Amino acid sequence: MAGSGSSEIVNSTAAQYAPYILLLPMLAFPVILFLGKMFNGNKVWKETLKEGGLIALAFMGASLGLSLWLVSDFIGAYGGVQKLSDWTWFTSSMWSSGVVTTEITFGFGVHIDHITVMLLFIASFLCLLINTFAIGYMNTDPINDNRNHRFYAEFVLFCSGMLGMVLADSFLWLFIFWELMGLCSYLLIGFYYERPSAAYAAKKAFLTTRVGDVFLMVGLAVLWDLFGSLDYAVVFNEYNIEKVAASNPGSLAWALGLMFIGAVGKSAQFPLHVWLPDAMEGPTPVSALIHAATMVNAGLYLVARMFHFFGAESMHGELADLAFIIAAIGGTTAVMAAAIAFVQQDLKKVLAYSTMSQLAYIFTGLGAALYLANTLHWHEYLGDGTKNPDYYANHAIVIVAFGAALFHLFNHAMAKGMLFMASGAVIHEVHHAHHHLHPHDDHHDEEPKELLMLANYLAETGQSVFGFFNAIDLDQSGEVDTYEFQKALKEANIADLPPWEMGPLMKALDMDGNGRINVPELELTLGRVHLASLGGHDDHHDEFDAQSMENMGGLASKMPLTATAMLVGSLSIMGFPLIGGFWSKEGIIANTWRVALEDPRFFYPAMCVLLGAGMTGFYMSRMWLKTFAGSPKTDVAAHVHPTNTWIKTPLFILTFFSLAGILFASMGFTHWAPDREYGLMSDHGGLWGGFLYEMEHVFANEKMFFFILTYVALFIGAVVGPGLALSLYGGKLDDGEEVLPWFGPVLAVNQYVKSRYHWDNSSFGQSGFATALENRLYFDHYYDLAMLKIVAAFSFKAAETDSSVIDGTVKMIERTSQQISTKLRSLTTGSARDYILMAALGTLGLFALIWGVVA
Amino acid sequence: MTTDWISLPLVALPLVSSIAILAFVAYASPAARERMGPSVRMATLIFSLLMLALTTAMFFGIEFIGGTSDWASLSFGSFNYEFRYVWIESLGIHWSVGMDALSFPMVWLTTFLLPVTIVATWNEKNAAVYFPLVLMMGGALIGVFVALDLFMFYVFWELTLIPMFFLILKWGGYDRKYASQKFFIYTFAASVIMLLGLVTVYFLQPEDLSYAGAWTGRTFDIPTLTAHAQVANANGAWFLGESLQKILFVMLMIGFLVKLPSVPFHTWLPDAHVQAPTGGSMLLAGVMLKMGAYGMFRLPLAFFPHAAEHFQFWLLALGMVSLVWGAIVCLGQTNLKKMVAYSSVSHMGVILIGIATMQPLGWAAALFMMFAHGIISPMLFAVCGAFKHHYHSMEIGAMRGMAKHSPWLATSMMFGWMASLGLPLLAGFVAELMMFLALWHFIAAEGWSVLWMVGPALVLALTAAYYLWSMQRTIFEGGEETQPPESLKGQPVPDISDAEKLAMVIMAAFTILFGVMPWIALDMMNGWTVAFFETLLIPILTGGA
Repeated sequence: MAGSGSSEIVNSTAAQYAPYILLLPMLAFPVILFLGKMFNGNKVWKETLKEGGLIALAFMGASLGLSLWLVSDFIGAYGGVQKLSDWTWFTSSMWSSGVVTTEITFGFGVHIDHITVMLLFIASFLCLLINTFAIGYMNTDPINDNRNHRFYAEFVLFCSGMLGMVLADSFLWLFIFWELMGLCSYLLIGFYYERPSAAYAAKKAFLTTRVGDVFLMVGLAVLWDLFGSLDYAVVFNEYNIEKVAASNPGSLAWALGLMFIGAVGKSAQFPLHVWLPDAMEGPTPVSALIHAATMVNAGLYLVARMFHFFGAESMHGELADLAFIIAAIGGTTAVMAAAIAFVQQDLKKVLAYSTMSQLAYIFTGLGAALYLANTLHWHEYLGDGTKNPDYYANHAIVIVAFGAALFHLFNHAMAKGMLFMASGAVIHEVHHAHHHLHPHDDHHDEEPKELLMLANYLAETGQSVFGFFNAIDLDQSGEVDTYEFQKALKEANIADLPPWEMGPLMKALDMDGNGRINVPELELTLGRVHLASLGGHDDHHDEFDAQSMENMGGLASKMPLTATAMLVGSLSIMGFPLIGGFWSKEGIIANTWRVALEDPRFFYPAMCVLLGAGMTGFYMSRMWLKTFAGSPKTDVAAHVHPTNTWIKTPLFILTFFSLAGILFASMGFTHWAPDREYGLMSDHGGLWGGFLYEMEHVFANEKMFFFILTYVALFIGAVVGPGLALSLYGGKLDDGEEVLPWFGPVLAVNQYVKSRYHWDNSSFGQSGFATALENRLYFDHYYDLAMLKIVAAFSFKAAETDSSVIDGTVKMIERTSQQISTKLRSLTTGSARDYILMAALGTLGLFALIWGVVA
Repeated sequence: MTTDWISLPLVALPLVSSIAILAFVAYASPAARERMGPSVRMATLIFSLLMLALTTAMFFGIEFIGGTSDWASLSFGSFNYEFRYVWIESLGIHWSVGMDALSFPMVWLTTFLLPVTIVATWNEKNAAVYFPLVLMMGGALIGVFVALDLFMFYVFWELTLIPMFFLILKWGGYDRKYASQKFFIYTFAASVIMLLGLVTVYFLQPEDLSYAGAWTGRTFDIPTLTAHAQVANANGAWFLGESLQKILFVMLMIGFLVKLPSVPFHTWLPDAHVQAPTGGSMLLAGVMLKMGAYGMFRLPLAFFPHAAEHFQFWLLALGMVSLVWGAIVCLGQTNLKKMVAYSSVSHMGVILIGIATMQPLGWAAALFMMFAHGIISPMLFAVCGAFKHHYHSMEIGAMRGMAKHSPWLATSMMFGWMASLGLPLLAGFVAELMMFLALWHFIAAEGWSVLWMVGPALVLALTAAYYLWSMQRTIFEGGEETQPPESLKGQPVPDISDAEKLAMVIMAAFTILFGVMPWIALDMMNGWTVAFFETLLIPILTGGA
């Protein structure tokens, strides 16, 4: 019977050492930090140990070794749930019906099943590769000198957070490591702390994900209250789920829904997606780490972890709505992010939106898989204990649907890790070339913006815009005289400017020229200016933007390996036949449509993923063509050199991993679920059998609907989307540039399509829609505005109320009592007659009182 | 060897020695006072370290000291190192001290904070007076926690005001006079109401008790009174009658709520903190606020559980309001120290909510919050003090790019801020987590809507918002060549001193220690709450048995 067998637990020696997978990097954190502090600037430290990079590499290598050992033990294993080295964190108690009965224990242990194995490999493998890349990337940039130890220390802590989250055996510890990652992302995105844009981006990332985390925490509280524990061993226990399902299935749905919001924040899905593109402010290895190996996968992992609830026979049909919500959020984000990626000029930003979109695919896939698991009877035995007649068919459907989502996670991680590292290599080299060609180009282009000046003055003096204006606008009329305004500025020591500076400032402030300043309008403008100065790019400081694709072009001949890696990565993301992402993306599309046939609501996500395939094809092709094809758009791009070995190695390895998609598919990566009823990667007759099965399944599906769907998706994703991009971008390389043989066909097709079907897209480029896309559909704008106008404004009002009303009452009492005592003091006249009178009155009063009491 | 008297010197010696030093110093000339500074400082440091060694030895139960180290399994009403000495026999007043798992963490915390505070404020001016005052403060605080006699409890309760008053008055900021008076009068006025309540309890108790005084036939002994209240509260009856019990509960709670402080009685706190010197703030936030929470557990909750249940909703409401209002007001602050002060108000709301859940889990959360906040908040104030010391300003945004100029200060600040916003694996998280779970359990059991979680959930986000916002404007930014603020008048920016570094590292280390291994303190707290519930509360909460 499902879930019955403790005998199915894998007997793995490696599992005994599993805690070290996360403890080793965690240990490396203080080691690197301490050594870095001690030997900062030392020659051996800097050149031999790469400022801690090699130490990190050693620890990450050991961690990967242990992970691989563990993974190999679990291949072919059934279920493979383990709970090891249970370590009690703390205990507490609850009482109910008259006795303190419930001992509540929170402990840490290791839990390994099929999902763990997948994520563990992705995380530890990519962390090691990104670490290798970082040595080539971080240590060759003079801007990082003497602070790389901080980078490596935070890097290993980040990895340890991800590994810990994957290995943890309870939702509580999942959450703990989840937050640890949040901290590390904050530190690493803000690595260049001196840049206001980085400071802003770091804060934004932490706060946005924190909003999700809050929901997650409430969800965990609800879950905990239902099960009395957060341990997987308890909450995934079929018997316990049955009990909860019998009494309170609605609450369980709520708990999971709230937890899902946490995943939405962490994985940057609509509407909590705004932090991800800004997170590009961190160094490129950090982008790769966040986008491929760790952070964003955490949300997916959390949703995948919920599989047991959806798959439980006793929750049959109860969670279908939630599954739909998951798929719908995914579908929405997939299309939205892809659309925004259309117009991005920043190489890394395109990739950021691509990540968002691909994660959305995985969410849609998970939503579909969870829907199927929840609505099909896919266990060997039915709820009433009878044998399930549809067991084989349904079981296969569920694990294939779930496997598609997880496999896409794998493919995306490999491809995106590579893409980010490759883009980092490009940016790195473009930047170097720029420095080489224009060493003195760093002059600051001060914008003579009075408004920005005022915003800065206010910020410098610690004045809030709101507090300041409220203080001036005494009658709350919304308008202030320019003269009054000047006076207030001087009085508050904000800007004591000479008249020749004050004049233009006032002119800029008085927008309609009537001598009065409109306060709300100005607040709004100032807020925008200030935010723009915070969020704006380095282009204030450095005119040349090494990340803009407008400054690249024709790099295919300059950086052949990087261009190859980018090409393979892009094709994998696009779902080009036979390599990487193709297998999983087809699976996700097919399974979403499978559900759509059952439940018409799913037509929405199903259409989204289908449409998104074409959009992916377009923006990924656009990115590659703009960067690597055509002739160099700047003199800088013409002088770019190939990159160093530390950077090349991981690119090379990951290129292989993306190309070898069919190999992994044949190994059984497409069948993946935390299910005790089949062995991991053991299904269909070895590598060759698997290969035949996958090929047949995809290209010659016996069901007509899926047969057509495959080719429609292929046409949209691999022909229409890239075709449009080919007709618009790229072009011939400069004469005399030699390229590797495999670029030949690509460039030839590009040239052919471009010359034949070139069309004018400038009307689209000038349309309001394109502007909206360039402004990221104004989400960031309105979120910032809400923060500023609602949250900040309210809190300033609250602070004011606190001192005027609450403390004001205290002060009033104080004043009144002082006045009374002054009055009373005047009774002390010093005259004996007065005292006698008072004594007499007092005695009379006392008598009256006693009389009243006694009588 | 019997060493029950051991908690006596823990209180008496710091008080006696600090008063002796102060008396001695008072007659010295200013120049001599200046000369004495370093040796007095060293003496107080050594003294406080000895006290810390003693309490730590008590935790581990070193045989030499006696007593039991098994704090978690002390039965309710029995105390470790219990010692009685008749003080004023006629009134039934005893010099009566002892520790259980409720008071011991607080005592240990006080002895931990004393040396840390001394080190963190190593260069404070007028050292020959300042450091004895800090020591005296410690003695008075420990006195509150170990007192098992109402009279003694009240004496020490008020005694703590005196050193703190002078610390604020003499070493405070520009508005120190107003702040110190407000602090004194506000909390004193509330304590007087509490005193009235205590005296009423004293006079209305039945007369046939042990430890009773010769004249009055009554006692001030807390364990005896608790035991009696327990008997009187049994079988649905109310100790001292229903209406009087409610009134007394409120009177006692007023004293404690003001000290805690809870909204709307909190406005003395920001003023006191902003004006207080760093050392004063550290002890004020670290231990003095917890006197309020400690008092609640020791007196009103133990004496008047019926009333506690009756006012459960109001406790919850007060806690919620403190939590949310404190956090919102924090976000509106432009003064760094004021922000941290309000964050204390917000965190103290957690304690009230924990109490209001009437579950051992919630109570343990409250106790652990007292302890964790006692380690974290002094660090926050130490950071604020160093900030002020360096940049001559407390305004957020006055100095940017601190990570470049003062990496140690920036690191300490980030660590402290993160600990205070409840980052997992740091001490504060455990308490917040337990409170969260206990609160939801309570709400679900009452059948209330999930909307009740909106407040606490919002606070989690708001807390992150104000801390991150302030870090963005202090640690980060500043451009490629960060400019020191104008208030420095062109002088280079130094990083914090070695003494400050040491204090920060110690506080950070213990924050991590209790965050990773909370059981060290939580086991005994859990033991205490379970004993309390089994003995006192459950019979009442289940409606008499």
